[in-house]
Amino acid sequence: MIKETWALTVRELKHWYRIKIQMFMTLIQPIVWLALFGQAFNLNKLLPAGTPTSVFQSFFGGASDYFSYMAVGMLAVMALFTTMFGGMSIVWDRRFGFLNKLRVAPIPRGAIPLSRIAASVVRSMIQVVIILIIALLFTYIPGLTGLTVSPAFNVVDLIGLFVVMLLLSVAFASLFTTIALAVQNQETLFGVINLLNLPLMFASAALFPTSMMPDWLKAVANYNPLTLAVDAARTFIFHNPNPLYDVWVDIAGLFVLAAFLLGLSIVISRKLMSAR
Amino acid sequence: MVAIIEVNNLEKVFNGTIRAVDGVTFQVEEGEIFGFLGPNGAGKTTTISILTTLLKPTAGSATVMGLDVVKDANKVRKVIGLVPQELTVDDDLTGRENMMLQSILYNVPKKEAIERIEELIGLVKLEDAADRMVKTYSGGMRKRLELAEGLIHRPHVLFLDEPTLGLDVQTRAVMWDHIKNLKQKHNMTVFMTTHYLEEADSLCDRIGLIDYGKIMALDTPTTLKRSLGGDVLQIEVDGERDFIAVIQGVQGVVEIKREGPEYRVKVIKGETAMPLVLKALADNGGTVTSVSLERPNMDQVFLEYTGRSLRDAEQSGSMSKSQARAAAIQARRRQ
Repeated sequence: MIKETWALTVRELKHWYRIKIQMFMTLIQPIVWLALFGQAFNLNKLLPAGTPTSVFQSFFGGASDYFSYMAVGMLAVMALFTTMFGGMSIVWDRRFGFLNKLRVAPIPRGAIPLSRIAASVVRSMIQVVIILIIALLFTYIPGLTGLTVSPAFNVVDLIGLFVVMLLLSVAFASLFTTIALAVQNQETLFGVINLLNLPLMFASAALFPTSMMPDWLKAVANYNPLTLAVDAARTFIFHNPNPLYDVWVDIAGLFVLAAFLLGLSIVISRKLMSAR
Repeated sequence: MVAIIEVNNLEKVFNGTIRAVDGVTFQVEEGEIFGFLGPNGAGKTTTISILTTLLKPTAGSATVMGLDVVKDANKVRKVIGLVPQELTVDDDLTGRENMMLQSILYNVPKKEAIERIEELIGLVKLEDAADRMVKTYSGGMRKRLELAEGLIHRPHVLFLDEPTLGLDVQTRAVMWDHIKNLKQKHNMTVFMTTHYLEEADSLCDRIGLIDYGKIMALDTPTTLKRSLGGDVLQIEVDGERDFIAVIQGVQGVVEIKREGPEYRVKVIKGETAMPLVLKALADNGGTVTSVSLERPNMDQVFLEYTGRSLRDAEQSGSMSKSQARAAAIQARRRQ
């Protein structure tokens, strides 16, 4: 199982890094988000001059400015966007008969979704690292706001941040891989992705605090996995004193979700991949 | 002879109405090349899909090396190789990487895999292209790589679904050589489908003529052709003398027609009757100026057993026919 999964994961990743335009997009996409969206909303300006930073921090998850707030949200959003398209390769493989080649091979059926999920997660984590580095580098570019981390930020926080992003990526990669296995063509897959991505992003604390949302939206957003991920991430990065949930609650929630969706993708793939 | 593939009353019905395979029974013996000949949508690929564990039969049973294709699917997968109709080699990997991936999927130990890949790449003559991306390959090269991939785990039974579909005549001949070589070298059993008459004729030890999901006839190509009533000798003899009586006396001669110096002689077995006829003519003072042997071709055989020419069947096709094809394609996509 492990050998086959690994071999297929390597295949997926080769597809990714051999297509130069894809690598380029991987880099350029987060820069566009951070440089345009992140820099445009300079919400500190809304506050009267001389207002202590702690006022802003109390609303925005411990971040000292909006860019820092959204940069952390962006880590989770990029994890969502990257894993979302991870299932595309399954649709192509079905189309070109490669999926049938795998079905004829004496491999555990679970290796098929697992390899896609693994490749998606690797790509997603690379994106997370890139965004983190870019956001931090912005501090040194004149005219740009950069990501300001808590002075007490340490290695344990960094590891915690990656664990959270890893769990979130596994959850979304499993979800979208399962959807890709179940749908017949790419049009349907695109439809489902478009239906899910924006609501998932906006109905969460990724770009805006849920505390400022109307109650009905807050009720949804507070249970969005993206919210759990950014809530924990902000606790790690800003040492946010007033998180939505305790960091262990965030992690436990994400862990249960990731484990459930991963298990589900294997069970469903077994059904979908067997002869009919 | 040992039966390697045994198929009993196999049926596959799509969407409850379209009978793609309609009660097929046959056996494939060890070491033979067995072919299904029929037009597109006749049920060839559906049968292969069932035998290679991709589809479940609606009724009937099929075993490969004594293993049930439904109950022992994973064991069947280990002993078979499939070269599918579509080109499924990975464009964004090199030829060698494709082979390596396949070897891992079939659990071939790495050291052995490297040796076999070298050997197989040589066999299909892709030495120069092995480390190039497959997207730079021609259709024929892809097909050859596909064949090499199907052999990496030394399968006992190889399934070839339209092995030369879309290839030019030259490349087709090369593929035929590869397939014949395989059989001789490894005593591999081959089950193949084709809608090319020449291919079935020149490659297969036995042919099943399949149409509308049913086997209409099953035998060696020679016997099938002979069943049409034998070969025809065209002989031209110098002079005015009538030789009908002379030819009539030769063993195997069925019917004679004369038009001037030309004789059309229907015989049971052309290759053995011809020297006998020529000897009889020579012994009786006839001077033969030209001779040719006409044999019934597979198209005539197909026409005889299915009531339509295979070449026509390719073009026309009733409503239910195209429906069956569409359903089969859909079902394949759905997997």
